[in-house]
Order: sequence, then structure tokens, then C-alpha cells
Amino acid sequence: MLQGRNIHFCISERPIIGEVNIVVAPGELTAIIGPNGAGKSTLFKLLSGDLTCNRGEISYNGKHIAGFKSNQLAKVRAVMPQHSEVSFPFSSWEIVALGMINDPAAISDRDIQAVMEKLQVWHLRAQAYNMLSGGEKQRVQLARVLVQVWKKQAFPRFILLDEPVSSMDVALQHLVLDFMNELKQRNIGILMVLHDLSLVANYADQVIMMKQGEVMANGHVSEVFTNQNLESLYGYPIHVEKHHQGLGLLVHSLPIHHINQRINKAL
Amino acid sequence: MSVIHADIFLTKRKVQHLVLSGLSLILIALFLLSLSIGAFHISMSEVLGIIAGKLGFGTYEGSGAASQVLLGIRMPRVLMGIIIGGGLGLAGAALQGLFRNPLVEPGLIGVSTGGAFFAVVFIVFGAKVLSMTPLLSLIGLPLFAFCGGLMVTLIVYRIASHTGKTDVSVLILAGVAINALMGALIGLVLFYADDAALRNFTFWSLGDLGGSSWVKLLTAAVLMIPASVMVIRLYPQLNAMALGEREAFHMGVNIQYVKYVLFLSAAMIVGTAVSLSGTIGFVGLVVPHLIRLGFGADHRLVLSGSFLLGAILLSAADLLARNIVRPAELPIGIITALLGAPFFIYLIVNLKKIKL
Repeated sequence: MLQGRNIHFCISERPIIGEVNIVVAPGELTAIIGPNGAGKSTLFKLLSGDLTCNRGEISYNGKHIAGFKSNQLAKVRAVMPQHSEVSFPFSSWEIVALGMINDPAAISDRDIQAVMEKLQVWHLRAQAYNMLSGGEKQRVQLARVLVQVWKKQAFPRFILLDEPVSSMDVALQHLVLDFMNELKQRNIGILMVLHDLSLVANYADQVIMMKQGEVMANGHVSEVFTNQNLESLYGYPIHVEKHHQGLGLLVHSLPIHHINQRINKAL
Repeated sequence: MSVIHADIFLTKRKVQHLVLSGLSLILIALFLLSLSIGAFHISMSEVLGIIAGKLGFGTYEGSGAASQVLLGIRMPRVLMGIIIGGGLGLAGAALQGLFRNPLVEPGLIGVSTGGAFFAVVFIVFGAKVLSMTPLLSLIGLPLFAFCGGLMVTLIVYRIASHTGKTDVSVLILAGVAINALMGALIGLVLFYADDAALRNFTFWSLGDLGGSSWVKLLTAAVLMIPASVMVIRLYPQLNAMALGEREAFHMGVNIQYVKYVLFLSAAMIVGTAVSLSGTIGFVGLVVPHLIRLGFGADHRLVLSGSFLLGAILLSAADLLARNIVRPAELPIGIITALLGAPFFIYLIVNLKKIKL
């Protein structure tokens, strides 16, 4: 269990995170959504250990985050930040293999290959990472993160992903999120910052809606993904519907000029 | 860019071993060549004979003069070139990894001049105080230079790095400023020095392996080899840090520890090198680059490869310095700068391409 209790964080007296409680359970995909500047990335950094909260407590599997050494923490959680630049000409394969530096014996070359094939980057293995496109870089980084927690363990592990699919095309986004669903069965809890609401609606188990540094709503997708919640979260009309064949949810928003037309008609 | 990409782990390891063995062989060949060629020529068979005799197997007795030149003067000097060249190459690679930037070099960012300033201070003011204890004056000089090098490294890092990211332009400008400051301070100290110290000024600015002796070589080995081993062992951590300090922390690297070890070791290597041979520029810049360009960025190879190639480069430079204006000698820093400065310009011009 990844748990945050009464997390508070401020930068020079200005509160970025007000008073947040959060639980990420192993075997579940938890998505954080919210408008720009809601404090999603800050919360993400607090949970991953990059920042230390001013008040409150973050714990992994019941142990306070400050009690972990960096190598112990790396066994329990892996992190994919939004952007990573590599300063030297490393190949994609080398980047992915970095995921195992904390525990080189834990994963074989064949496993690395399997992860890279699954994410469709194995053919890029010899290419310099810095030459790849945005979506390819994201998949290579994701492969690195997965390699870190690939070996099955008795204790729950967590992966924290900050907008992991933002540069990928639709097909790849589904491929990656479907892969995440598979990973849940390895006793891994996944926390993801996502902007694409239909992906959240169809893949996430739990949703945390953040607004102005606070959790506005929090719960299972089926409970919190409502028109009202989303509209008040983003300040824009958003519609959630069941797909006409009964599978999955459709989330859509109309462009401003259509909304204006509707209002004019009503008048 | 002709980076050799191995398809699987094992072939990559094999290539790395091949490269390291190749570099070692070149270094050994160059070592023997350097022992043979010089103002006083000693034939290769004599060189091998004297070494074999000294090691206790073989019956060859070289002529007295050849043996004396070889063992008393030339061999400590050539070995000193190897250890200092290797150290500078390695320190360059380590600092580049630490700053996450291919333009970092002990000379360019002012670490060498910082070390030189402290060394000059020690020579001009400290030597009189410590002349009673020979051991302290022997070790004191490199240790003083180490303090200077460490101080400058920390200052430059403080100025140029924010949250694990280094700003190149700030870094280079900080280096320019610190080099100017330290140069001025060296001049100021030398103003108070006597004539003999004054004449040695070129030694500090251009580098020289001329004064090498077995005692100095031992000092260098004792101070530089442990530091070098510490750095080389950190290759996985440096690989992780190429992704960023934050990412390295996520992967389980103890960033603070790695930074401390690298700062201390690099300053120790550069400080010792500077105190014994003056500021020899550009070795730490050129060498890691050539390794990366040829064989990829994995620090497993870059670190040990930089040591070997640095040793090769400086030995070759010293061989040239001793022989092109025979019987006089060029300061070795002139040769490394003649090779290195154009390379640095090439790097600046191509920085965009390299970083991409």
C-alpha cells in the first residue's frame, strides 16, 4: 500500500498541496487527473521521494518514506518523470538496462528483451536514445521503469508514471495501458498522471481528482466519473456516456463555438 | 557517429574487453618506445635487457650510462606521464559524468588552476615552515593542491548546477572567471617569491614532466591510484546519472554519496597531478570524448578507457616534447594544448549535434 496522510507542501509560504490524503493499492491502476497547476506533479514528486512534504506522512507498505535508503526505495517503487534528457549518446538498450542497476541479478537479458518487445521498442535497441521521437523515448523510459520492478516479489511494488503516454499515438496508448492492466496482476500498484479522460475512464480503477492543491473527489471510476464532477473539475462542460454497445465509457467535450450555438438557440 | 552497438549484452562486454586490451597493448608498446627514444638513445634490446636484469631474470648487463639514464631518469618520467595522463583522462570523464556535460574539463572549469594556486602558495610560503619535515613537504604539496582543486570544483558546481542540471554557458563562464582569478592570485603570490620560484612559473602554466623522480612517482601512485579505483568502481552510478540525478535516485543510486566520492577523487587526482607536473590542459577533455565517439557512452568502458587513452596521449605528447627540439625540451602543455584547443573548438561548433 502506498499511502499519503495529510500531505501538505508549500513553496515560500504559498501552499501547493493543501491537505491531501491518498491511497494507492497494489493490483489497481490509480489515475490522478485535474487542470494545469492543480498540484498533480508536486504530489507526484512528494510520493516518489523527490520532495519532502512540510507536514503529513507518506508510507510504502506501512513504512515511512524517510526510513528507506535510496536503494531500498528503488526496490519498492519505480518512477517515470515527464521528461528525461540523456546527456551522452547511450543506446536505447543501454537506457532500458539501467533499470536493473540496483539489482543486476534480478532480471535476465531475455526479460529485458520481452519488455522491450512488448512496448515495441526492441527494434530500436541499437539506436541512440537522443535520436528517437517523443513517443519512442517515452516507451524506452517506460521499459526502463518496468525492468526495475519486473522480478516478482513477495511484497507489493508501485510504479509512478507522470503522463507516460502523452506523446504516443492512439494505438500505442491503448497498447501501453493494456500492458499496465497485465502488470497489476504482478502485485504492482500503478499511479499515473493522465490528461486523456477517455483513457482514464476505460483503464483506471481509482481516480483522484485534484483541483487547487486539494483532492476534489476520489473513488472508483464508476462513482466519480460524472458530468458534474468533471465539469466542476475543469470548469468546462464534459460528457460521460456509456458506449452504445454497452462496453466502456465515452468521454467527450464539445468545442466552444458549438456550445455558444446551443446557448444562442436556447435563447 | 560511429558508435559500435552490440546487439546483446555479451557481445557488448566482449567489445569492451577488446577495446581495453587493445589500449593496454598500445600503452605498453608506447612505454617501451618512450624508454628507448630520447636525447640519450638506448636501443630497444638494451631497454628490454636492463628491465629484465632489474627484474631478476636475464643476464644482460647494460652499459652503466644507459642503465643509469633509463632507471634513474627516464623510467620514472615515463611512468609519471602514464599515471598523470591516465589520472587526468579519468578525472575528465568523471567530472563530465558528474556535471552531465561533455564540455567539462579540469583545466577549463578552473580546477587545475585552483590546485596550482594552492600549490604555489604552499611552495612560496609554506615550504620554509615545513622544510624541517621532508615527508610533510612531499605530501603537503599535493594535499594543498587537492584542497584548491576541491574548493574550485565545489564553487563551480554551486554556480553552474541547479537541481542536478548544469547550465553550459554558466559553467564555461564560471571557469573563465575562476581561471582568471586564480591566474591573478598565482601572479600575486609569485610577486612575493624569489627568482627561482619565478622561473618556475611556466611550469605551472604549461606543465612539465621533467622533474620526475621515483619518490615523486611513489607520491603520485599513493595519492592517485586509490582515488582512480574509487572513480572507476562508480560506473553504474555514473551511467544512471546520465539520465539525470532525479532519475538516478529513482533507480536506487545514493546521489549524495556518489557526488562526494567523485568530487573528492577528482580533486585528489587533479590536485596531485598539478602539484607534480603543473597544469596540463585538454587531456581530460579530449580523451573521454574519443572513447565515447568510438565505443559508446557506457561508463564501464569510458572510465577505464579514459585512463588508458589519457596515459597513451600524455606519454605520446611527452615523447614528442622530449624529442622535437632535442636536446632542449618543450613544455608538454604546449603540445596537449595544440592538440586539444582545436578539438575544443570543434566540440563547441558541433555541440548541438553531439547533444542530440
